[in-house]
Amino acid sequence: MVEFSWAPRSPLEHALVTGAHGTRGIEAGVSLTEIRNFDLIQVMARRGKGAELAKAAKARFGVTAPDAPKAVQGKDATLIWSGPDQFFVLSAGGKHTLQTLVPALSGPASLSDQSHARVLISISGVKARAMLAKLSSIDLHVGAFLIGAAAATSMDHTSVTLWRGNDRPDGLAVFNLLVFATFAESLWHTLLDSAAEYGVAISHSEELA
Amino acid sequence: MRIVCPFCGERELGEFTYLGDAKPVRPEAGASEDEVFDYVYLRDNVAGETNEYWYHGGGCRAWLKVTRNTLTHEISSVEPAAGAGAAKVGA
Repeated sequence: MVEFSWAPRSPLEHALVTGAHGTRGIEAGVSLTEIRNFDLIQVMARRGKGAELAKAAKARFGVTAPDAPKAVQGKDATLIWSGPDQFFVLSAGGKHTLQTLVPALSGPASLSDQSHARVLISISGVKARAMLAKLSSIDLHVGAFLIGAAAATSMDHTSVTLWRGNDRPDGLAVFNLLVFATFAESLWHTLLDSAAEYGVAISHSEELA
Repeated sequence: MRIVCPFCGERELGEFTYLGDAKPVRPEAGASEDEVFDYVYLRDNVAGETNEYWYHGGGCRAWLKVTRNTLTHEISSVEPAAGAGAAKVGA
């Protein structure tokens, strides 16, 4: 009899080594933090029900769900645009799970639990933009990609959802990256290669920024 | 070449996949063999403006109808294909 473990484990469990990476002897220019144990629900409007979903989402989250590439901070959740008439609900601590959202939203929308299907990586630091510029064709300039801006795009031929969160207390920008779990290890190595020259500080956390 | 996705904005070609000619329309049930053959196999080789389906698979995963000039690669219009983004095309 094979023993199975149903304890959730990060797809980056083996690839992520906390501590310093790349150039040493300088202050790390890039911080890479994997955020673990989040709840992520994909919400997609049923055909012709976009307006009805918008109403239900507003009642549930207290904010208007994004209808353009943006991330909106709602009650205990971040709503991230992922395509026309669809968005992610990102939260932690079981506040918005599939079980709690289905009764509220399943009339106008299809819901799918992506909590264990994506890896969430938070990227910041003085060289975060320089490092991302090697991988992304999105204009991430401070005046072009504002707080709350989001993009469904590709990095290194891998589909990702990218958005800018609130700045760190020291004023530096924070970029959040959702990537498919099975592509996460590959993209993680690409991120490390891209950031190595600037010095990298690697960590993981259970705190949603 | 870049395509301005009506949902995402201007993006590089690598995020898109080409499907093909958007002109052929599926014949009615009971159409003649020639009509079906034409629909399945025969394509015009246009030197000039064409309508094409493109898929934004590396982005918002919407299907798009692109009007492109095959001589200059100039793209004159990009719109959501029917069914993509119910709110925008009202389908």
